[in-house]
Amino acid sequence: MNGLTSQQRKLAYLIGILLLLIPIIKLGLPSDGTKAATGGTLSQMRTEFELGESDLGDVDPSSAAMNLVLLGMRGVAVNLLYSEFDKQKDMKRWAEMEATTDSIVRLQPHFEKVWEMNGWNLAYNTSAEWDAVPDRYFYVKKGGKFLMRGVRQNRKSTHLQYHVANVYQKKIGIADEAKFYREYFLHDPDPKFKGGVDPDFNPDELDNYLVAKREFEKATSIEDQYHRPQHILDKTLFRSMPARCQFDYANSLQKDGKFGEITREAWQDALSDWTRKFGQEVFSIPIGPLGTDVKFDIRLEMSAEDIRKEIASPDDAVRVAKMVESYRKMVNYYYWRTRGNCEAESKTAEAHRNLYEASQFYKKQELEKARDAAFAGIKGFDEILKTPEFTDLQSEESLVEECLLGMMVWEDIHRVSGEKVPADYPLKWLATQHQGNQGMHANVQRSFKRLFLD
Amino acid sequence: MSFDPQDMPVFLSIFYWMVVVGCLSFIVMTVSLLSLLVSHRSAGPRIFAAEIIGSLTDLFSLSIRRIWALSKLTFIEAYRRKALAVFVVFALLFMFAGWFMGGDSKEMSSDQVKVYISFVLRTIGWLTLPLMLVLSSFGIPEDIRIRSLHTVVTKPARRLEIVLGRVFGFSLIGSLVLLVMSGVGYIWIVRQIPASAKDMLVCRVPVYGKLQFLDREGKAAEKGVNVGDLWEFRSYIEGATKARAIWEFRGISERALDSGGNLHLENQFLAFRSYKGNLKQSLLYDYQFRNPDTGLTHTTEARPINENRGVTDVISRKLVSRSDGKTYDLIKDFVSKDGTLRIEVSCIDREQYLGMARPDLFIRMPDVSFGFGYFKAVAGIEIMMILVVLLAVTGSTFLKGPIATVLTFVLLILGGEDAHKFMDQLMIGRSDKGGFQGGGFFESIYRIITHMNPTTELPENMGFTAMTGVDGVLTGFLWLCKQVIPRLQYFNMSEYVSNGFDVPLGSSLLPCFLILVGYFLPCVMLGYFALRIRELESK
Repeated sequence: MNGLTSQQRKLAYLIGILLLLIPIIKLGLPSDGTKAATGGTLSQMRTEFELGESDLGDVDPSSAAMNLVLLGMRGVAVNLLYSEFDKQKDMKRWAEMEATTDSIVRLQPHFEKVWEMNGWNLAYNTSAEWDAVPDRYFYVKKGGKFLMRGVRQNRKSTHLQYHVANVYQKKIGIADEAKFYREYFLHDPDPKFKGGVDPDFNPDELDNYLVAKREFEKATSIEDQYHRPQHILDKTLFRSMPARCQFDYANSLQKDGKFGEITREAWQDALSDWTRKFGQEVFSIPIGPLGTDVKFDIRLEMSAEDIRKEIASPDDAVRVAKMVESYRKMVNYYYWRTRGNCEAESKTAEAHRNLYEASQFYKKQELEKARDAAFAGIKGFDEILKTPEFTDLQSEESLVEECLLGMMVWEDIHRVSGEKVPADYPLKWLATQHQGNQGMHANVQRSFKRLFLD
Repeated sequence: MSFDPQDMPVFLSIFYWMVVVGCLSFIVMTVSLLSLLVSHRSAGPRIFAAEIIGSLTDLFSLSIRRIWALSKLTFIEAYRRKALAVFVVFALLFMFAGWFMGGDSKEMSSDQVKVYISFVLRTIGWLTLPLMLVLSSFGIPEDIRIRSLHTVVTKPARRLEIVLGRVFGFSLIGSLVLLVMSGVGYIWIVRQIPASAKDMLVCRVPVYGKLQFLDREGKAAEKGVNVGDLWEFRSYIEGATKARAIWEFRGISERALDSGGNLHLENQFLAFRSYKGNLKQSLLYDYQFRNPDTGLTHTTEARPINENRGVTDVISRKLVSRSDGKTYDLIKDFVSKDGTLRIEVSCIDREQYLGMARPDLFIRMPDVSFGFGYFKAVAGIEIMMILVVLLAVTGSTFLKGPIATVLTFVLLILGGEDAHKFMDQLMIGRSDKGGFQGGGFFESIYRIITHMNPTTELPENMGFTAMTGVDGVLTGFLWLCKQVIPRLQYFNMSEYVSNGFDVPLGSSLLPCFLILVGYFLPCVMLGYFALRIRELESK
C-alpha cells in the first residue's frame, strides 16, 4: 500500500521502537542506589521529593507484590473490597471485615486517610459493637495497633501519628469505659498476657496518658523534622497536646486515689511542660497588612514588656499583645497555668485526698469518717478557691463538680443521721454560684449515684 | 450465625421444573413447526415428524462405550491444552497465602480459622470454575473449526453422544483438578492451624426450629424491635417485659439428647444496651420450656450471653422446678405428642435488648469431623463445576467459543442471590409488597416520559388497562426467563464449613444436586438439537 517491502516495514518498526526507547530510558533509568540524585528523570524526582517506598516508611513486600500483580487495576480492586467491607460491617462479620481492611491497606499503603478511617473504625465503631468490656478493649487495641502500623509505613505522616496518640489519650482515657480501659492498659484481660501488658500496645508498661504524651511529642517532632504540618487542629492547640496529656495524667492519679509525691510531681511536671516547654514554643504570626508576608515570632509566656522590647512601633506592639492574648484564650492558657500552680501546692493535694476519702468512707457506710473527711475537703477548697491567684478555678467544671460531690456527701450524711444541715458552711457560696448550671448538677447527681453502683 | 439455611421445597421445585420445561418445550416445538410450515409449506409437518423420530432413535440408541470413548478423547484434549497448568497458579497462591493472611501463629482465634477455611474453598472454586468454563466453551467450536468433528460425526457416534461425551470428559478432568486441589487445601488448613486451635476445626450439626416473637405486651408479633441495625436479619426483645423469642423444634425425641441424657442448646444472641448499666456484667437471658399440649412450663436460671462467639448450654434431661421442687423429664413432660419442643427466650435486664434470628438458637447434635464437612463443601464445588460444564457445552453447540463463554458467565452472574432478588422485585411490581416502584416495562416508560411520580395512581381507562395487561404478560415472560437461570445461592457451602457447621443435606447438597439434574436433561437435549441442525461446514 505504501510501497515498502515487508523487510523495510520491519526495519521502520525497529527504528521506531528504538526511538521510543530513548525517552523511556531517559525517564525510567533506575538510580545506582546511592542517595545522590542519579538515574533517570523519574528516579531523580523520586529522590528529590522523597517519594521512594523506603523514604515513605517500612517496605511491605506483599503490598508491593499485590500492587504489581494487579497491573494498574488497583482502583477497581479497592472499590470491590470496599463494597465487601461495607457489607461485612453491616452484617457484623468482624473477622472478615478485618481481613478485607488488611487487603485494602496493602493495596493503598501510603493513602493516609485509608489508615485513619479504618483505624478509627476498629477502635471506635467496631469496639462499640461488643457488649463485654474486654472485647471492646480488644478492638480499641486493634485500632491503635493498626494506626501504628500505618505510621511505620508512613513515617512522615503527622496526621497518623496524631491519631495514634489520640487513641491512647481519648479512647482509653475518656471513654465511658475509661476506668476499665486504663486498668486493662496495665493488666491486659487477654489470658495470653498473663495479667501483664500487651507488649505491642504498651511496651514500656506506662500509664496511657504518658504514652499519649510521648506519641504527641512524636507527632510534633514529625511536623518539625519533615515540615509536614497537620490540618486537624490549630497549631497552638496541636502543640499543647503533650502538656495536656501530662495534666490528664496528674488528674487521673488523683481520680484513682493516689495523692502522694508521685501525684504532686506529676502536677509539677505538667506545670513545667505547660509554661517552660509549650509556653516557650515559638509561633509565627502575621502582623503586617493583608497581602504582605510580615511575621512576628511569639511565645505564649511572653509578657507585654517582652513584646514592647522586640517591636519598635507601639501600634504593632498593641496588636501583637492582643494576638498573643487571643492564642492564650484559645488554649485556655491561664486556666491550666493556674491549675498547675494550685495543684502543685500540698494543701490542694490534701483537699483532694480528703474528698476522695470521704467518697470511699461513704461507700463503706462509715458515715462519721466520711463526714469528717468531706468537711475537711470542702474547707480546704474553700480556702484555696478564695486565694486571689486561684480564683479563676471557681469556674473550672471538673474541680467544682468534685467539690459539689463532696458537699452532697456531707449534706446527705446529715440527712441520714437526722441532723439539720448548718445554715452556713464552707463552699456554700460556690454551690450558689453554680446553682443555675443544670448540666453540672446532673453530672454530680450521676457521680453520687455511682458511689452506690461501683 | 449470620446466615439462615432454608430447606428447599423439593416437591414444589419439581412441579415448577415440570411447568417450565413443559412451557419451553411447547414454545420450541410450536416455533419449529411453524417455521417449517412457512419454509417448506406442506412438507413441513413431515420433516418435523422425521426429526422427532430421528431424535427418539438417537435417544434410544445411546452407547455407553461410545460416550466413554468421547469422554476420554475430551479428557486427553483438555490435558493437551495445558488445563493442568492451573496447578501452578494454585501452588503460587498457597505458597504465599500466609504472607497476606497474617494472624498469630501460636494463638489463633476462631475468626482467623474461619478466614483460612474460606480462603481455601474460595480459591479452589475461583480457580476451577473459570478454567472449566473456558475449556468447555471452546471444545466443540474448536472441533468444528479444525474440522475434527467431521471425523467423529461420520463415525457411528451420534450427536447426542458427542454432547454427553464432552460433558462427561470435561467434568472428569475438572474433578481430577478439584480432587488434587481439595486434598492439598485440606492438608494446608490442618498444617496452618496451630495445635492450640485444632479443636476449632469441627463441624457442628444443628437442628433448627421455627422462630416467632411476642412483643412487650405479650402479643404475637411478626418481628421483635429494630434497634437501628442496617441489616434487619436480627430483631430484638426488650428485657423485663413480656417480650419473648419462641423457637419450636419439630421431630424431637430422645435422639436429640447426648449419651448422658443432656440437651445441647447453642445460641449466639447479640446485646443492645439502651444505657450502659453494669459494664462488668453481660446481659442475661433465660429459657422457658413450655409443653404446647399441657401448658406445663419450666424456667431455667439466668445465663450471661457470649456475644458473637456463642455459648452451648447443656440442659439436663431431669429438670427440677424451683417453685415446687418437683422433677420433670424434658422429653416426656415438655415435648408435645407431635414431637414439638417449644423454648421461649427472654431478656432479664430491664430496658436492655437481646437480638436474635432463627439460626441463633439450635439444638446441637454430636459433631462430625472437619474433613467430612470440608469434603461435602468440595462436593458442592464439584456439582457447580459440572453445571458450568453443562451450560458451557450446551452454549458451545450453537455459539462460537468466546460467545459461549460470555453466555455461561452471564448466566452464572445472574444466578447469584442478589440478581435473583432484583428479578423478584421486578416481578412483584408493587412497592408495597417489596417490589420496585413504577410498574412494569411500558408503565415505567410512560411514567418517565410524562414525568409521572411513581406513587401517583395511573388514570383508569382502556388504554392504561391494556398497558398494564401487556406489562403483566411481559412480566410472565420474565418469570419464565428467571426460572431458566440457575439459582446458585445453594452452592455456597464454604459458609457452613468456615463457620464450623456441617453442610446440611436438605438446604444445600440436595438442592444443588436437584438443580444439576434439573438442568441436565434440557441442556443435553438443547445441545443435541442445536448440533443436529447446525451446519458444521460453517466455522
